Amino acid sequence: MNILDFFRGKAVTIPPMDGALKPNRSLDEAALVVAHAEPDNLVADGHSLFFTAGAQLLELAHGARQARVVETFPAAITALAKSEDDAWAVALQSGAVLVREKREAWREIASFKCPVALAFGAGQFLYLGNGSEAHPPSAWAHDLMAKGSSGSVWRLALHAGERERLADGLAFPFGIAVDHAGGRLLVSESWRHRVLAIPSAGGAPQPVLAKLPGYPGRISDRRGQGFLLCLFAPRNRLIELVLQEDAYRMDMMAEIPRDYWVAPALASGKTFLEPLQCGGVRTMGIHKPWSPSRSYGLVVELGADAEPIASHHSRADGKRHGIVSAVEWLGHITAAARGGDCIVRIAAHGGGEA
Amino acid sequence: MTAIIDMRKVTKAYRGVAAVKAVDFTLEQGEIHALLGENGAGKSTLTKIMAGVVEATSGEMLHRGQPARFLTPNEALNAGIAMVFQETSLVPSMTVAQNIYLGEEKFLNRLRGVYIAAQQFLQSLNFNVDPAAPVASLGAAKRQMVEIARAVHHKADVIIFDEPTATLTPEEKRHFFALMKRLQASGVSIIFITHALEEALGHADRITILRDGELVATGKASEFDRAKVVQAMVGRALTQQIYRKRNAAHLRKRGAKVLSVQDISMGNMVRNNSFSIYDGQITGVFGLIGSGRTETFKIISGVYKRDFVRGGDIELDGRPVRYNVPRQAIKDRIAYVTEDRKSEGLFENLSIAENFFSGLVAAGLQESSIVSLREMRSLSEQWSERLKVRAINSRAKAVELSGGNQQKVVIGKGLVQRPRLVIFDEPTRGVDVGAIAEIHQLINDLADEGLAVVVISSYLPEIMNLSDRILVFRQGRVVEEFSPVNATEEKIMYAAVH
Repeated sequence: MNILDFFRGKAVTIPPMDGALKPNRSLDEAALVVAHAEPDNLVADGHSLFFTAGAQLLELAHGARQARVVETFPAAITALAKSEDDAWAVALQSGAVLVREKREAWREIASFKCPVALAFGAGQFLYLGNGSEAHPPSAWAHDLMAKGSSGSVWRLALHAGERERLADGLAFPFGIAVDHAGGRLLVSESWRHRVLAIPSAGGAPQPVLAKLPGYPGRISDRRGQGFLLCLFAPRNRLIELVLQEDAYRMDMMAEIPRDYWVAPALASGKTFLEPLQCGGVRTMGIHKPWSPSRSYGLVVELGADAEPIASHHSRADGKRHGIVSAVEWLGHITAAARGGDCIVRIAAHGGGEA
Repeated sequence: MTAIIDMRKVTKAYRGVAAVKAVDFTLEQGEIHALLGENGAGKSTLTKIMAGVVEATSGEMLHRGQPARFLTPNEALNAGIAMVFQETSLVPSMTVAQNIYLGEEKFLNRLRGVYIAAQQFLQSLNFNVDPAAPVASLGAAKRQMVEIARAVHHKADVIIFDEPTATLTPEEKRHFFALMKRLQASGVSIIFITHALEEALGHADRITILRDGELVATGKASEFDRAKVVQAMVGRALTQQIYRKRNAAHLRKRGAKVLSVQDISMGNMVRNNSFSIYDGQITGVFGLIGSGRTETFKIISGVYKRDFVRGGDIELDGRPVRYNVPRQAIKDRIAYVTEDRKSEGLFENLSIAENFFSGLVAAGLQESSIVSLREMRSLSEQWSERLKVRAINSRAKAVELSGGNQQKVVIGKGLVQRPRLVIFDEPTRGVDVGAIAEIHQLINDLADEGLAVVVISSYLPEIMNLSDRILVFRQGRVVEEFSPVNATEEKIMYAAVH
């Protein structure tokens, strides 16, 4: 630390996308699995791909062209998990956490302010990420702009009704994956741009992947072959600046509709009312892929040690933005682009830099 | 056609070693004559004899059929022979206009009038240079333009260009060759020395090739092709070997992240630039002049300072660094091999050994605080051998070396500092094909040894051949990253321009 650093102020810097995060067009070139408005929360088994959209849980069978509705809930689904022995868990916008085992009826086992991540662990446990104590899941942008750090990670017993807080003070834990081999949970802490490791039995969280160039979201396990991490929105300098300018940010949040805030988004360029966000540089009518953007599509393949191996992008000029969930289905990485209204299939290790 | 210059059995020897040996050379009226050869082949020496910069040891020169002997460049200029040097000879503290009209000042000068005349003159040459700008503030390409403008202004009937296009962008090169044709049409005879063989084959009427100070071939350009020229220059087919296309199997895997640059800014030249550099890899950097590539790496190596407020972060091995002077970067084992070897890379009047040793002293790696001649000599022998520096002995001054050998000394000066990150800025500019192969081999060896290597180059085949990854700069930032396997010259140029 140099004494002059006090006069320079805090630098706003964003790590570069290179190395394993080298940009490509892999998501834009990926095959379309199904087009559906705002798909979210993917789960796969050997035959079918399940996803949610609003309050519906849908199934897309292998080879089918249309998804069928499996279940409709009273509120939008915010998280979904399925265990090896066919137990299901969903979290709703209302805060309710529901579980269904062995084709029994759905039953509510808990309620939280902002349940956004679910994962089944060994021994009848369900892990849950509660994004915030102040805002519901749909108000994630509000939580970011309010610099929320009231998130927590919980372990819920499916039958005993017990719940144990494993970590708190987190800045929006948006994704949880169980690392069975390592006896730990990988938790993405979105607003701090990092992935934490939390011992399954409880203990201090340790960062395993930090300084990400976007906001990390859901993580899925690739059954011993590493993990898939979704970065649902990019960081950019204008948003970082606004996050530093408290008075401006408060005025913006008080006076401007949320869709038009200078804040990350799952999709952009849909209306002229959106903030320009550093330009969206165009030259001779061509949107430059490297230009700063409010939205982006990014899936990162992580190794078993949670280090990035390769990545799949939809850049500023792409359409498949806002990747909120990715799983491996029938040997392919399958990703839900909530901003692009579609689910796509990428060849494993086909993109990025191996 | 009549010969405007006719050189017969001309020899020039330095300390008994002949740089030019009994060369016969003729320049016809109104022709464009390309002079080719490896570095150290004697091209510059031969033309310097014509331009009165050096005097021939033996032989005869006829100018318009009359014996001529120019003792100074001014005598040659008065006779209508002007030379545009490879290393520009402008006065940095004076403006462009003042440099063009240098030596023609009247007793009372009206500066505004000089600027207007210079503006009109530069526009007539299609050179976009501000006549009121001090030369020190210009980049290498614009300095070259001013140098050319000065020669044209002197209404010389013979103009010798030494590596005129080395620093020019493709657009500027087009303008330059159009200018050359216009000069030719007005009766001016032109000699141009180049290492870009396509330029010689595409624009010259005749080609002369020298090797080791001797004339190897001369004839009409239409009688030559690329392979024939290279064969004559080096005695072996080299270019295909140097500029072969990489395939995936030959790419090096990246090692640990050595350098992380995040949003660094410096005025309008470098703007929110972010990238990383990895061990054991060659990172190629391409960008047009003014894209901020050199400035970015000069910030990293402590030559320039980034913006005081919100200037971004640089992390070396995860540790934030901010250098005020290059010495701090050198101590952190960052070596920057400059693109401007004359003014930034060498002590011209010091010997090769002293130049190598100065690199060691800068890094604080010398064995004792008292200069040891033994240490200096052994260091020089070791590095001269490794870099294949060709000189009479280690006491030879840097100024006496050819461009390629000077470049090797500049590289050696950086490498004696035992760096872990080496930044080469235009490592083969003004260097012949033979030396290019040696320098490329050295750069590859450094990466194979595990060092992080950066190569900044304007020459796309060089970038594509050397790099394990390619960063493209535009308007002060990295806009695209390519793998050399799927990059093409068109893709890279498109990213750099649009």
